Amino acid sequence: MSEDFKDSKAIQAQSSETISSGAGSSSPDLDYVRPAEVGDQDLYHGHSFITKWVFCQDAKVIGVQYFCLATFTGIIGLILSWLMRLQLGYPEAAGFMTAEHYYQFVTMHGMIMVVYFLTALFLGGFGNYLIPLMVGARDMVFPYLNMVSFWMFFVAVGVLLASFFVPGGPTGSGWTLYPPQAILEGTPGSGMGIILMCVSLILFVAGFTMGGLNYLITVLQARTRGMTLMRMPLTVWGIFTATVLAMLAFPALLVGSLMMMLDKLLGTSFFMPTILKAGEVLEYGGGSPILFQHLFWFFGHPEVYIVALPAFGIISDLISVHSRKNIFGYRMMVWAIVIIGALSFFVWAHHMYVSGMNPWFGFFFATTTLIIAVPTAMKVYNWILTLWRGNIRMNTVMLWCLGFIVTFVNGGITGIFLGNVSVDVPLSDTYFVIAHFHMVMGIAPLMVIMGAVYHWFPLVTGKFLSEKLGKWHFWLTFLGAYSIYFPMHYLGFIGVPRRYFEMYDSPYMTSAVGMNEFISTAAFIVGAAQFILIYNIIKSLKIGKAAGKNPWQANSLEWLTPTVPPEHGNWGDRLPVVHRWAYDYSVPGAKEDFITQTTPPSEVTDSKVEKT
Amino acid sequence: MDETNKKEQTTTHKIGIYLWIWGLLFVLSFFSYMVDWYQFQGLLRWSLILIFMFLKAGLIMAFFMHLFWERYALVNVLLWPMTAIACFIFLMVAEFKYTLFTRLFYFFVGG
Amino acid sequence: MSDPKIEGYEFKPGFSGMAADTASDQTMFKGVHWGKAMMWIFLLSDTFIFSCFLISYMKGRGSTPVEWPNPSEVFGLHVFGVDVPLLLIAIMTFVLITSSGTMALAVKYGYEKNRKMCGWLILATAIGGLTFVGMQAFEWSKLIHEGVRPWENPFGAPQFGSFFFMITGFHGTHVSIGVIFLFIYAYKTFAGHYDEQKRGWFTSIRGDYVEIEILGLYWHFVDLVWVFIFAFFYLW
Repeated sequence: MSEDFKDSKAIQAQSSETISSGAGSSSPDLDYVRPAEVGDQDLYHGHSFITKWVFCQDAKVIGVQYFCLATFTGIIGLILSWLMRLQLGYPEAAGFMTAEHYYQFVTMHGMIMVVYFLTALFLGGFGNYLIPLMVGARDMVFPYLNMVSFWMFFVAVGVLLASFFVPGGPTGSGWTLYPPQAILEGTPGSGMGIILMCVSLILFVAGFTMGGLNYLITVLQARTRGMTLMRMPLTVWGIFTATVLAMLAFPALLVGSLMMMLDKLLGTSFFMPTILKAGEVLEYGGGSPILFQHLFWFFGHPEVYIVALPAFGIISDLISVHSRKNIFGYRMMVWAIVIIGALSFFVWAHHMYVSGMNPWFGFFFATTTLIIAVPTAMKVYNWILTLWRGNIRMNTVMLWCLGFIVTFVNGGITGIFLGNVSVDVPLSDTYFVIAHFHMVMGIAPLMVIMGAVYHWFPLVTGKFLSEKLGKWHFWLTFLGAYSIYFPMHYLGFIGVPRRYFEMYDSPYMTSAVGMNEFISTAAFIVGAAQFILIYNIIKSLKIGKAAGKNPWQANSLEWLTPTVPPEHGNWGDRLPVVHRWAYDYSVPGAKEDFITQTTPPSEVTDSKVEKT
Repeated sequence: MDETNKKEQTTTHKIGIYLWIWGLLFVLSFFSYMVDWYQFQGLLRWSLILIFMFLKAGLIMAFFMHLFWERYALVNVLLWPMTAIACFIFLMVAEFKYTLFTRLFYFFVGG
Repeated sequence: MSDPKIEGYEFKPGFSGMAADTASDQTMFKGVHWGKAMMWIFLLSDTFIFSCFLISYMKGRGSTPVEWPNPSEVFGLHVFGVDVPLLLIAIMTFVLITSSGTMALAVKYGYEKNRKMCGWLILATAIGGLTFVGMQAFEWSKLIHEGVRPWENPFGAPQFGSFFFMITGFHGTHVSIGVIFLFIYAYKTFAGHYDEQKRGWFTSIRGDYVEIEILGLYWHFVDLVWVFIFAFFYLW
């Protein structure tokens, strides 16, 4: 018995350290952090309005620019989803809408939301704003390239939206753009629409590569003194890993888009098999449509994690700050992010079980897909264990976090259904799939974005958002989103196919009519509820409560800048020096319930901080 | 970005190593050209092509791009992602065989 | 290059050094310039682009039931009354490797602050690249003259032309961009921008000879890709 006690003490001493005041303060090396390896960054300071706010090289301004433009495209995507739901729920009220319109709206909604909204918002918006602040850099390492990156994104969005106004309209081939139908007559937007889509995607990839190089090198090479990789907040880990995925996955999309453009413009047959149309053989022949699907999903599956990993990272930080506890199993969380990222390159063809690929692939991809569920589940347990016996603040941010966990678990579990070939085959192309991916990569990351907006708004603007409006916003969104997507699982089980413009009069579909009306009504309400946030932002900017420095009593560096909101160059005269990880909350023996990353060990003697 | 000024300037390598590698690349290219010249066929041809290709690629990366002298942290970051490509190649080989099989089966045999 | 000296940091070799570098603060790639790290990561991304192209080519070529043209004959030249297989391609390979060698030497002389030598070698590299692009243009026009088009060709599977023009076109674009930058950098070297650390035209980043190495990495990568294209497209 006594030996057991000894053992556990020894283990405790390994995992955390208590610095006694006597020995600690007398030792001169206690606060030693080795000197900077490279000189201070040489920054370009804009002076005119244009160089300060338009063609700005400050990552924070670029982040806000990304955020605003992505939100704008997101609202367009939202409006498109309203139109789709209007058609599905109340077809008699949507008389102006033809089947072609419907397919175009489906396509543009999907592409906008996945690529131009979520990816741009998480990596471009939060990445630009938070990475330099959180790792203690003055700015991104290549500010000029960063500025070009945003303006490339701007042009890409412009080209994308221009496709609404060309003859034939935008492409209507679904966000997956599968050939041959994407470029054949009969599909809406098979002329200019698909070309503009491909051009826009190529521009986006080019622009994103510039931004992504910035994020990666800033994290790898421009951290401040004392900031090791294993002391970085999980937000940075999530965005960093997602950027790695993007750098390696977007090439496949680029290649696919380019080849499809050549098929369309030059008449090559990369993806086009021999096709009979109205009794006539088209000039195409010998191509492989499945090749496009492989290329697309080699991009498309990592893309799912490009959206999800930043969300995982951000949510970890929000939960930790607002339940005043360190994140449970920080190292495990980091490794889970990295492993999920790495595995995401080996699972892509689980989107293609019904495509007619080599039938043996089902074994391989079902296995890898189920393996990826392990680190993901670990993360969920860790979030819950972080909350467990924490000093939880039930504010809007925490509500969004809890909403995220619930929706993510829901979407994740249906993902395990769909990862199995035999379950996927009957369920694919039904509303079950729609419910699954909207839960897991639509609503869940959106919850994180909302939580992050409420959390970091005081940092960006120095004002709090209104809690009252925030709670309305949360409950309407959360309950509404559940009302939309939960019934969709049932629709999928009874076999309602996705992508159908109209449900017609077949008996098993008429039973879905009432439910479709209900879902549509909920969708209108949820969509409208998002404007509460916009109203809240505008109102709070004008008359919001001043936040002051570090209003959430957080540990990470972004709250520790000399001025709030941070200025260009972030840190004033001296870069911060980091002594610990970002999660020293409620440390036994400490004076306050948080110890910032810059607090030197000599100031927290006698408290039991984690050894990081 | 005057970050490099702080650290000591890196030492350069002797010119001989570059000339050696340069020469080796020419020789290897000549060999791979000879593979075609002598019209080797079958497994011999493919293995020779691949051997010369990887030797050339390795020499360029190791010495011209200085990867041989870089620290393992950089080398590993660059080489591990290639496993994803290797997996992609491996699976696409299985895929093209299957596509070819279905095409021959339905268009020429069973069709 | 060899390990730089960093105050307060002890370099370890091999995998333990990798672990130590990764676990340390500030930088993961010790002593690696930001721009150089960026170029390496960019090249990694670019590798994925070319890999996707070549994998698509493999899939396309492997799954076509129509006969694939014999590259040895298609790319052969008829000189002095003899048919020489792949002659032009062999010369192109020779030119590209030559330019790669001059580039490697340019990097070396750059680090030795030998402005003249560095500049001339970059110029030689640029001219080599230009020659390569010129020969590729000749090859393209010859094939087009023989009736090879992206959508059809007289020798066999139509995908042959599609993949040929796309992959060599994409590689040629890389070479052309490289040539443009080589000329710019040759000018900047001769003008002494790297000796006096003049700020860049757009980026306002101070010039340094490490930029030559960064450009060199790109140029060697272009050569590297050609090694693979040569093996898979022309020899296979």
